[in-house]
Amino acid sequence: MALRIHFENVVQRYRVIRERPDSLREAFTKIFRRNSNTHDFEALSGISFDVHDGEVLGLIGRNGSGKSTALKLIAGVFEPTSGKVEVSGKVAPMIELGAGFHIDLTGRENIVINGLMLGLSRKEIMAREQAIIDFAGLGEFIDSPVKQYSSGMFMRLAFSIATETDPDILLIDEILAVGDAEFQEKCDARIQDFRDREKTIVFVSHSPILVRRICDRVILLDHGKILADGGPEQVLEQYDSLVHQPA
Amino acid sequence: MWNLFQEIRKNRELIWALALKELRVRYKRSALGFIWALLNPLMMMVILTIVFSTITRIAVDYYPVFLISALLPWTFFSQTLSYSVESIVINAELLKKIRVAKSVFPLAALIANVINFMLSLVPLLLILAVLRFPFHWTWIYLPVPLLGLFLFTAGCAFFFAAANVFFRDVSHILQIILTAWFYLSPVLYSPDFLSPKYKLLFRFNPMMYILNGFRMAIYYGQLPTMQNIAASLLLGTVTFVAGYWVFRRLERSFVFYV
Repeated sequence: MALRIHFENVVQRYRVIRERPDSLREAFTKIFRRNSNTHDFEALSGISFDVHDGEVLGLIGRNGSGKSTALKLIAGVFEPTSGKVEVSGKVAPMIELGAGFHIDLTGRENIVINGLMLGLSRKEIMAREQAIIDFAGLGEFIDSPVKQYSSGMFMRLAFSIATETDPDILLIDEILAVGDAEFQEKCDARIQDFRDREKTIVFVSHSPILVRRICDRVILLDHGKILADGGPEQVLEQYDSLVHQPA
Repeated sequence: MWNLFQEIRKNRELIWALALKELRVRYKRSALGFIWALLNPLMMMVILTIVFSTITRIAVDYYPVFLISALLPWTFFSQTLSYSVESIVINAELLKKIRVAKSVFPLAALIANVINFMLSLVPLLLILAVLRFPFHWTWIYLPVPLLGLFLFTAGCAFFFAAANVFFRDVSHILQIILTAWFYLSPVLYSPDFLSPKYKLLFRFNPMMYILNGFRMAIYYGQLPTMQNIAASLLLGTVTFVAGYWVFRRLERSFVFYV
């Protein structure tokens, strides 16, 4: 089993700004006043884990526990403040709905741009275009501007593009909750197919039902630390008691 | 710099697709579509010609040709900057979700405007034909000011796109800078009109050399001096390298500020 994702003592710190920072006014006030309106927030404080081929890993935890940050680090959206993140293979990220669609362009045009961003060549996209459209089941909407899509259609197209690009690692953030029952089944089948082909999936969710159904390993994050790492049943139980304990 | 070439090579299809997207969105839902790319400079030229050659009586033969030979490159410059300054900020949602080379966004804005610029050469040829203005052999020299223009514009585009991520004021300030810069550059007038007192000041304006190169070749039918050629290419290259250097140094933190 090849190592796909390697996290070693990963720390991610954000500068959190209490007011909007992005103006010159603030830059000037910074000079005169000691910069008091920012503080550092540690989203991940030194986590380590490995993910191998064929693993379907669930990341759970309360809001602000660092799940999405971990996912974005795997996606390569940013680099860690300290520590090491190593990812090998092609990554297809589905972080929040409709990863980077241009709302004025049609579904078909978005397939091309999204595919190019995921690292495919135009030729490869053209070869897969029909399969993407079929799986998303958008019918004639594929030639309408994406801004006319419902959130379910958005998600279906995003999922369809991401999975048809044949990635080694699939990152899914909450997204699956949006589709109807029929599409849920198609997604499940596709995820099963990924698992059968020994691909890696990292799945972020708040839903114990989804996590239990999809994942075979779960990591529980809390305040940027790993609380538990193991089989779904055992870790979900711990999550349950964490959520229900008085803060 | 080597890094940039590799990024362009790797992402050339993406940059091209984004540039076409930019144009498609720009002209979408307008009845005339791409014709606006031709009509716009034509209308600008008509208005400015009426104002400056008829009303204020600037004594220049073939003023429309004189004007448009510098107006077209200027419009390219200012439009590219107006588009690229927002290019990173506008794609914020994308940068937070997909790993993608940041340079593709200002580059796509640049390419889109290069296409637009090429289209706007059609009205130029049209005007030459209508006015029966001679077509000078010096046109073959145009690639030199073109290269200077593209390099200079790209450098500025990288710089402003990066700066705007950290201070959103930059896009507002840019509009003021561009307006002032327009009047301080020899577009409406020739540098010869300036009082010698201020001539020195104009020497620091890279756009002067570039615009002058265009006007020399198209309007005067002369080759610019070696000094002029050297100045426009040198300033273009230096700006390009410096602008990209700033962009490159800052691009890692874009995602935290957009």
